[in-house]
Amino acid sequence: MNSVRIVLADDHTVMRNGLRLLLERQPNLQVVAEASDGRQAVALTESINPDVVIMDIGMPNLNGIEATRQIVSQNPRAAVAILSMHADESYVIRALKAGARAYLLKDSAEADLLAAVRALTEGKSFFSPAISKILVEDYMRQLENRGVEDTYELLTNREREILQLLAEGKTNKEVANMLNLSLYTVETHRTHILQKLNLHSVPELILYAVRKRIIA
Amino acid sequence: MEPEDVKEAVVFKRSGQPLQWGAQVVLLAGFGGMLGLMLFAGIDSLRALRQIQARNVQIRQTFLLRNRALEEIRSALYQSGTLTRDYLLERDAGRAETYRASLQQVREDMQASLVRYSRSLDASEEGPFQSLRSRIADYWKVLDPIFHWNAAAKLERSDAFLHQELFPRRNTTLEIADRIGEVNEQELNNGDEQLKAIFDRFRFRLGLMLAITLGVGCVLAIVTSGQILRLARDAELRYRQVVNARSELKELSARLVEAQEQERRAISRELHDEVGQSLSALLMELGNLGAVVPADAELRRHLESIRKLAESSVNVVRNMALLLRPSMLDDLGLVPALQWQAREISKRTGMAVTVDAENVADDLPEGHKTCIYRVVQEALHNCARHARARSVRIQVVQEGGRILLSVADDGQGFDSALVRGLGLLGMEERVTHLGGDFQVQSERGRGTRLQVEIPLVARAVEAMA
Repeated sequence: MNSVRIVLADDHTVMRNGLRLLLERQPNLQVVAEASDGRQAVALTESINPDVVIMDIGMPNLNGIEATRQIVSQNPRAAVAILSMHADESYVIRALKAGARAYLLKDSAEADLLAAVRALTEGKSFFSPAISKILVEDYMRQLENRGVEDTYELLTNREREILQLLAEGKTNKEVANMLNLSLYTVETHRTHILQKLNLHSVPELILYAVRKRIIA
Repeated sequence: MEPEDVKEAVVFKRSGQPLQWGAQVVLLAGFGGMLGLMLFAGIDSLRALRQIQARNVQIRQTFLLRNRALEEIRSALYQSGTLTRDYLLERDAGRAETYRASLQQVREDMQASLVRYSRSLDASEEGPFQSLRSRIADYWKVLDPIFHWNAAAKLERSDAFLHQELFPRRNTTLEIADRIGEVNEQELNNGDEQLKAIFDRFRFRLGLMLAITLGVGCVLAIVTSGQILRLARDAELRYRQVVNARSELKELSARLVEAQEQERRAISRELHDEVGQSLSALLMELGNLGAVVPADAELRRHLESIRKLAESSVNVVRNMALLLRPSMLDDLGLVPALQWQAREISKRTGMAVTVDAENVADDLPEGHKTCIYRVVQEALHNCARHARARSVRIQVVQEGGRILLSVADDGQGFDSALVRGLGLLGMEERVTHLGGDFQVQSERGRGTRLQVEIPLVARAVEAMA
C-alpha cells in the first residue's frame, strides 16, 4: 500500500513539528511538505499534488479557508482537512463551503488527526467529536426554542440513504453507482432532500448530517 | 483645548464680568432719567394748559363784565336824557313825579354800574374812568336844579336847558364812555398778548424738554444696542464654545471607543493565535511524549493531568478571546459573528435568539461591522438582563447603500420616552458617529424594538480615496 502523502499548512513551527511527529509515527503516512502561510500552501499543493492537506485557518497572507477554496477549485478531488482553534459553527460551514472535507479542533488534534486522515483517504468526511457535539447541541436547542418539527421524519428511506452517502462526501455519480440508480434519479433525490430539510447546499447538508448524528 | 480657544475663553471672561455693573447703572439712570423727563414734561404741559385756559377765561369774563357795565352806563345816560325831557315837558304833576322817581332809579343803577366797573379797574383806565366819574357827577349836578323849578319855569327854561346844558353834557359823557370802551378793548387785546406770551414760553419749554428727551433716548438707544450686540456676541461665542466642546467630546468618545476596540482586537488575537496555539502545540507535544515514554502508571497519570490543565486553559483562552472580540468578525464577517453571538446568548440564558440576514456583504467597512456587532451585543445584553425576554429577533438587511438593523424582543419593555440608560446612549453614539439613525421603541409590557439605519456612503468615499 502506497503511503499517504500529506502537506501541512500552519504558521506555527512548533505546531507543524508536533503534527509531523504525530503523523510520521504511522508507517503509511508521510509529510511531504510544510507551508507557513496560505499562499505557500496553494503553490505546494499545486506542484506536489498530495493526498491530504492539513490546513490551519488563521495564517498570514492568505487564510486557510481561502487557500482551501483555491486548492479545491484547482483540484475538486483534493482532500483538505481544516485544523483550527475555532470551534464555532460559522467557521465549520465556511470551511465546508470552501470545499474542506474534514474539520478538526487543534486541542484534540492528537486524538482525531489520524482518524481524520483515514476518513479522508476513504473519501469520507470527518469532524472532531467536540465540533459534532457543539453542532448537535446547537441544533437541539434550536429545535427546542423554535418548536421546529423534526424535518428528518419527512424523508423516505431511499432519501435518508442518499443523504448519508452525500454527507460522507460521495459525489452524485458515486452514489448512483453504489445504489444502481441513474445519475438523474440521484440528482432528483438530492433536490428533494434539500427542499424537505430547507437546506441550500451540500455543505449545509453535511452539517445537518452531523447534527443529526448521521455521520461522525 | 486648542490655544486659540483658551485665549477666546479668557477674553470672554474679561469682557463678561465687569461690564455688568456699569451697564446696569447706565441703563437704570438712562431709562429713569428719560421717564422722569417725560413725566415732568407731561405734568408741566397740563399745568401750563390749565393756566392758559384759566387766564383766558378770566380775561374774557373781565372784558364782558366791564363791557356790560359800560353798556348799562351808556343806556342809563340815554334813558336819563329821555326821562329828563319827559319830566320837563310833563304838565301833570303826578306823572312828572313818576318820571322823577324813574330818573332817581336810573341814577342809582348807573352808580351801581360805576362801582362794579371800578372793582376791576386797571391802571391804564384810571384817568379816563375818573374823568367819566366826574363828568357823570357833573351831569347829575346839572340836573339837580330842575326839580326845584315850578311849572312856569319848566315851560320857559326847559327847551334851553335840554339843548344847551343837558344834551351836550350827555354827549361828552358818552364820548368818555366810548373811550373807556376802547381802553377796555385794548385791555382785551393786551390779555391776548399776555396769553400768547405764556403760550410761547410753554411751547419753548415743551420743545426743549422734547429735545432733551430725544437726545437722552438716542444715547440710551446707542448704549443699549451696543450692550445687546455685545451680549449677542458673547452668547454666540459661548454657543460656539459649547458646540465645539460637544463635538470634541463626541470625537474623543469615538476615538476612545475605537481605541478600545483595537485594544480588544489585539488582545483577542494575541490570546487566540499565540497563547492558544502554543497551548495546542503543547497538547500535541504531550501526545507525542506519551507515545515515546515507557508505560509507567505514575508517569501516565502526570501526563494526563498536564493534558487536562492545558485543555482547560485552551478553552479559557478561547472564550476570553471570543468575549473580547469574536474572531469571526474579522475572519468571516458580520453575519457569522452575529450568529455566534446569538448562539452564545441562547446557550447562556436560554433565550431564543434568531438572526435573519439579507444581502449582507462579508466585507463591510470595519467601522460598520464593529458598530452593528457591538450594538447587537449590548441590545442582547439588555434583553437578557433587563427585559427578561423569551425570544429576540435580529434582522440585518443591506440595501441601497445602507444597512438596516432591527432587534426586537418580547420582554417587559420600558418607557422609551423617559428612560435613556448609558447602554442606549453608547449605542446611539456609535451609530450617529457613522452618520446613522438610532431609534428605540418600547412600552411597558409590549417588548422593545431597536432600529438602526447606517449609510454606507463612507465606504464609497474610502474606495475613491
